[in-house]
Amino acid sequence: MNILSYYFNNFGRIMSALEVHIFIFLVALSFSIVIGIAISIFVTQEGRKKIGRIILSIMGAAQSVPSLVIIALIFIFVGIGIKPAIIALVIYGLVPIIFNTTSGILSVRPNIIEAGKGMGLTQNQLLWKVKIPIALPVIIGGIRSSATIIIGSATVAAVIGGGGLGDFIFIGLRMQKPEMLISGAITVSLLAIIVDHIIAKIEKKVVSKGLQIKKT
Amino acid sequence: MIELTNVTKKFGDKIAVNNFNLHIEKGSLTIFIGPSGCGKTTTLRMINRLTPFDKGNIMVNGTPINDINPVELRRNIGYVIQEIGLFPHLTVFENVAIVPRLLKWEQKKIELRIEEILELVTLDQSFAQKYPLQLSGGERQRVGLARALAAEPEILLMDEPFGAIDPINRLRLQDSFLEIQEEIKKTIVFVTHDINEAIKLGDKIAIINEGNLIQYDNVSKILSDPANEFVENLLGQDRNIKALSLKKAKDYVLKEGFITVLDTEPHENVEKKMKEKNIKIAFALDENNHLKSRFVLERATNTKKQKFIYNPAPWIIERQNNINETLSKMLETGEKQLPVVNRKKEFVGIVKLSNIFEEVNRKEIISEE
Repeated sequence: MNILSYYFNNFGRIMSALEVHIFIFLVALSFSIVIGIAISIFVTQEGRKKIGRIILSIMGAAQSVPSLVIIALIFIFVGIGIKPAIIALVIYGLVPIIFNTTSGILSVRPNIIEAGKGMGLTQNQLLWKVKIPIALPVIIGGIRSSATIIIGSATVAAVIGGGGLGDFIFIGLRMQKPEMLISGAITVSLLAIIVDHIIAKIEKKVVSKGLQIKKT
Repeated sequence: MIELTNVTKKFGDKIAVNNFNLHIEKGSLTIFIGPSGCGKTTTLRMINRLTPFDKGNIMVNGTPINDINPVELRRNIGYVIQEIGLFPHLTVFENVAIVPRLLKWEQKKIELRIEEILELVTLDQSFAQKYPLQLSGGERQRVGLARALAAEPEILLMDEPFGAIDPINRLRLQDSFLEIQEEIKKTIVFVTHDINEAIKLGDKIAIINEGNLIQYDNVSKILSDPANEFVENLLGQDRNIKALSLKKAKDYVLKEGFITVLDTEPHENVEKKMKEKNIKIAFALDENNHLKSRFVLERATNTKKQKFIYNPAPWIIERQNNINETLSKMLETGEKQLPVVNRKKEFVGIVKLSNIFEEVNRKEIISEE
């Protein structure tokens, strides 16, 4: 009851915090996608497969570093505010994208690449017309986990002045106002669920039907 | 067409291809055969520059391939590999259209070409919109061939294309592949490790062992005159019998001694016609020339009375079946003659057991040792 009345009384504030949260999320995710895919393409080019494998194991390990550690490090080296928060989120969001994109591209079956080369596709055509479309389900899987992670970690980034819904959680905690804390938490959770759903829908749209067929 | 001169390739210290000299003729089907690791695939891959060579020269149509941009070169040479490597995210149409699109053909021309090429590899037009995962192994193989032929290259390189197909379907694919080659007359280099496949398909065979070209000759010449023990062992004990397989059912097709009728014709009419013309065999065909049934007039052994027999699903021989296959089918069915069809299942004539016996009898195809 308390929570509901708190929610309605502070609806405006919650919504503007949500706006900030979505803004931070979108900026961080966009940078993560662009930088992450660029790095993955670079390390999976012909003749660099070794680097690709090394990056893959580093990213595998990096996935277990808590977000708070990255945020704390960024706080030490960059400072406080929304920019450092976004930088920390971009770095943290890169990990699943690089991991999935790299492993997706590296696991395209060699006979498919051989056939493509044999037909006279250039390296670029091979990458954009063959490797990436085939790896797309895995790549989008990486973007999905990155999105969830960024939305979650953005609440933590509130401690270094990122703003957003994290403020409700931390202030509610400090002021011992559970209704405030829970209002923030529920809104963040809903955001994460909705975003995940939207990306799943996009995945169905952009991934080739040929890759979604169940083998008969 | 393709000329290899003193071509050598090393992998580290190991000589993979040792000083090959080979002239591959235009319009011929040349087989590279040998045990795995002998250098046959390496040689094939050197022709489209997927593997660079160390010494010597390879010329295609009189131009050294090292003077041609590898991407350009490959777009003009069809390439089929064992695992086919169809792109799973593209439809059959899009897969086959890859090289034509790279060569910037007009959309209309591509559509017409794909219709034509699917017909050539006997795939129904409805396959165009399917994805590779929806196809069987044999269908995938046909699409792979269609894709390699789409931009009408003069040369086709095939690396164990039927290697992953089960034996029964493999024979069928070989038959239709031969029919297709008879029609398109491409210059084909075909790698296999199966000697029966080599004898069945090849015009010429290059036998390769440990990086050396052991013998390169016509199939019949290799069977009658193996260069050394290695070739003899490769051919096996039964090379006299194998030589028989060089002759195909199509070499014995007769166009007479039977009549054909439309499958809509009443049986009494057929019987009457046969008796009038005094012909013992009749075949019923539909409007597409597809064989539907067979009629036989037979004298019963005891009563000596003529019987009229209707046979709704007769055994058939394919044009490309070799004599061994034809003979065993006849012995199995106990028939003295069987109808022959081409790869489109169109009726082309009959083969008679007596003709084949003559051939087997005349077995001086290969002199006894």
